[in-house]
Amino acid sequence: MVNLFSSAPGGRRLAGVALAAAASAVGLAACGGTTTKAASAASAATPVPLVVYSAQGYDSAETKAFQAATGIPVKLDDNSTGPLLTQIEASKNNPNWGLLWVDGATAFASLDQQGLLLKGWEPSVSWDTLGTQSVPSDKSYVPTGVTLMAAMVYDSTKVANPPTAWSQLTQTQWKGAVGMNDPSQSGPTYPFIAGMMNSLGGVSQGEAYFTALKANGLVVHPTNGPTLQALTSGAIKLALVQSSAGIGAEATDSSLKVAYLNPVTLLPSAIGIDSKASPQVQAEAKRFVEFVMSAAGQHVMQTGDPTGDSLYYPVLSSVSPLSVLPSLAGVKTQTINPYTWGAQEATINNWFDSNIVQ
Amino acid sequence: MSRPGWNSLTDRLTRAGRPLFWMIVAGAILAPCACFMALAVSPRLFDQGPQWFTLQYLRGVLSGGVAHALADSMWVSAVAAVMGAAIGFPMAWLVCRTTMPGRRFIRGGMWLVLLLPSWLPALGWVRLVQPDGVMYRIGLDLPVVTHLILGPFGVVLLLGLRCVPFAFLAVSAALAGLGQEFEDAARVHGAGRLGSLRVVAHILAPAIWSALAIGFAESVSDFGVAATLAYSAHFPLATYQLYSAIDNFPPSFPAAAAMGWLLVGSVAIPLALQAKALRGRSYAVLSGRTRPLNPVVMSRRATFGAAAGVSAFAFVALGIPGLGAVSGSLLADFGSSFRVSFANYDAIIHNPTLIGPIDRSLVYGIVAATVTVVAGFVAARMLARTRTKATRTLDMLLLAAVALPSVVFAAGYIFAYNLPFMSKIGIDLYQTTTLLVVAYIASSLPTNARILFGSVSQLQPSLHDAARAHGSGPVRAWGRGVLPAISRPLVMAWLLTFCAVFLELPISQLLYAPSSPPISVAIQDNLGNYHYGIGIAQAVVSVILALLAVGVVLGAYRLLAPAGWRRIGALTRG
Repeated sequence: MVNLFSSAPGGRRLAGVALAAAASAVGLAACGGTTTKAASAASAATPVPLVVYSAQGYDSAETKAFQAATGIPVKLDDNSTGPLLTQIEASKNNPNWGLLWVDGATAFASLDQQGLLLKGWEPSVSWDTLGTQSVPSDKSYVPTGVTLMAAMVYDSTKVANPPTAWSQLTQTQWKGAVGMNDPSQSGPTYPFIAGMMNSLGGVSQGEAYFTALKANGLVVHPTNGPTLQALTSGAIKLALVQSSAGIGAEATDSSLKVAYLNPVTLLPSAIGIDSKASPQVQAEAKRFVEFVMSAAGQHVMQTGDPTGDSLYYPVLSSVSPLSVLPSLAGVKTQTINPYTWGAQEATINNWFDSNIVQ
Repeated sequence: MSRPGWNSLTDRLTRAGRPLFWMIVAGAILAPCACFMALAVSPRLFDQGPQWFTLQYLRGVLSGGVAHALADSMWVSAVAAVMGAAIGFPMAWLVCRTTMPGRRFIRGGMWLVLLLPSWLPALGWVRLVQPDGVMYRIGLDLPVVTHLILGPFGVVLLLGLRCVPFAFLAVSAALAGLGQEFEDAARVHGAGRLGSLRVVAHILAPAIWSALAIGFAESVSDFGVAATLAYSAHFPLATYQLYSAIDNFPPSFPAAAAMGWLLVGSVAIPLALQAKALRGRSYAVLSGRTRPLNPVVMSRRATFGAAAGVSAFAFVALGIPGLGAVSGSLLADFGSSFRVSFANYDAIIHNPTLIGPIDRSLVYGIVAATVTVVAGFVAARMLARTRTKATRTLDMLLLAAVALPSVVFAAGYIFAYNLPFMSKIGIDLYQTTTLLVVAYIASSLPTNARILFGSVSQLQPSLHDAARAHGSGPVRAWGRGVLPAISRPLVMAWLLTFCAVFLELPISQLLYAPSSPPISVAIQDNLGNYHYGIGIAQAVVSVILALLAVGVVLGAYRLLAPAGWRRIGALTRG
């Protein structure tokens, strides 16, 4: 039977892959230069609007800067990660996005496994240690920065001696005092849960840990904002949130402090390019990635959302972290395999909702 | 009731426009819903799974946590609908039939309740009663209240309060169109106050059933309370489960569709009860002979009691959410102190990107409300006049669409209007303003039609006939005979749609045209990007703007509508 509601498998998709491969070859051939052939191709043709799906706080500033620098018109769909991924999944038989820019490698891994991302291309840049850890082997997405999951935020006026290890959170001293986000509502929280499971030795060990946390009165709020509010209102004493949210809160309220417990999981913000997009759109998307990774683009990222997403750790050796970011010296970071853990996201989130949230 | 040979303009328009109307209903409501619902049994149709036909997803929702959540949604919605009618009916009576001082403020308060997105009151309540919330910080140590509100009671309370305006609008429209003669007749025949009230209640049955049905459907499809207070209370409702199925990654649209089937199926219960209660009766009471009312003069004691009840409603429905929202917008430090700051409002004033979303949402609201009211009137008229298979289907379809959560509606639009073959023939509607406005209209039409149903069912053909008998042409006869009687309900229905569209979120999120976000998306963007205070401040500003729009429209109606319209229209207030 032929699926009348989908693009023909041998048609647009194969054509897209072939064109993507061609585009990749062009991009790879240009490695080492500041101007790629892909970029040339994009500039040679009459620009078409590049549809950017993004959940980044600085995306509006970034797309404006890109448009001003290149003349390529951008249509920005600025949304939360959930709705963006819902749009991509619902429209995958006829996608109309050019690139996706959100936090979390597991979502990109899943899109990659479905053949929705352009593989085999990355900008010609010099990665730092965090960047090297975050680049996928098949180059299906490009990390643009890194935040950490989870940062532990506490009120220094109320907590003189914060915990120094994850295991301490299950002790009676912190009964009813720990809060975190719900992975089914907060995108960055699944990588945290998966990271804990990874560091503890597996899913069952991780489930045991979160079950112990629940027994010790773990409070689950939907997202970073409500969890931080619970902290500032005194409902909890320790908030486990995304590092950028915690550091942003610290900047707003000086009594709040951020600490990292070993290990913390890297949460890359990344850009993926639609594998079914036209060659011209893919070329424009590559130019966008190159712009983001340029000095000008990184400057926009670091200034576009000063108390939010701009508080990321750079992935390029040429860019220094903002001074308000705590040093990572002595902090053990880990990268979870997004392809292994991404496949388990729905199952683990369901388990968490059924056994920890309820 | 229909009469043979009644050659009214509306008849002719209805006949001529019926195919067009059905095409609109099919294209805007049926197709997206059908596409989404088909996913439950045939995921492969839209590349959402390997099966061409399966019942596994439908079986899945009949067991475990989802089935439990669905059962909870059903009983909670039923109680909320009854609660809405139980509060809305007396308040409508106070406004329409008494001389209670300040009764106009009740109507305004109802609009305010309708204006607030349901998540806003829920957040306000959570903020108030949560451990270490506002209640505790001002010295009220009441864990019982926390336990009550953060549980099924609180969920029912909030959903019930949400139903009150719908009941109020439906009942007040019908009540105001009910002349004094029926109560007089009952009293003349020996009925006491209670007996005459029973007579009135029987005549108002369509409006009451309409209020109950729409209250149930609105509650069962509500997401704002489900995602906030019910979530915090660990009391999962079906809409939240459905949302989780879509929001999880990768999303399971077939599982969500299966839940959608059950939610839509659940509205069969109030519909069946409504049909059973109204079958074989006529409720056409509004005519040229309708007698003016003699409002009941309330005693001081009764006035005091009524005022206390209305104040309690206003405090619970508006005061607490207002406190939550305004306090959230005035705190610049994540709420760690009670230090008041206008930093969030300053940020809004100095952020020019806020103006665009507000302008856009205003235009979307005006266009969607105008089209919806016309279509809603046609639908209400079809429902009110005859009960054929077609109208029964329409009735079911409209109410089922109310029960379908907006996020399902929006996803259905993607599946229906982003098909590859449509792109091949040059129709690319997905993520265009056109499709967004069509979706707004389609999602508003069911509620709008149900709201107008009460008023339209009271129209007697004699209104038009009388104008024709006095020499008016069909258009003039409709304009002079019918329009004055329903002008007010039409204005109210327009405002209701405008307000709903102005702050609508789920459809906007999935369907808005890139680079053109409506205000709700802009608010959500700030709430999601750690700018909680700014987002709440935007919500407060938006609600104020929507209220201003309501004031302008009502003021314009008062100033510009002919005196006769206002006098006759006052009988059929929406």
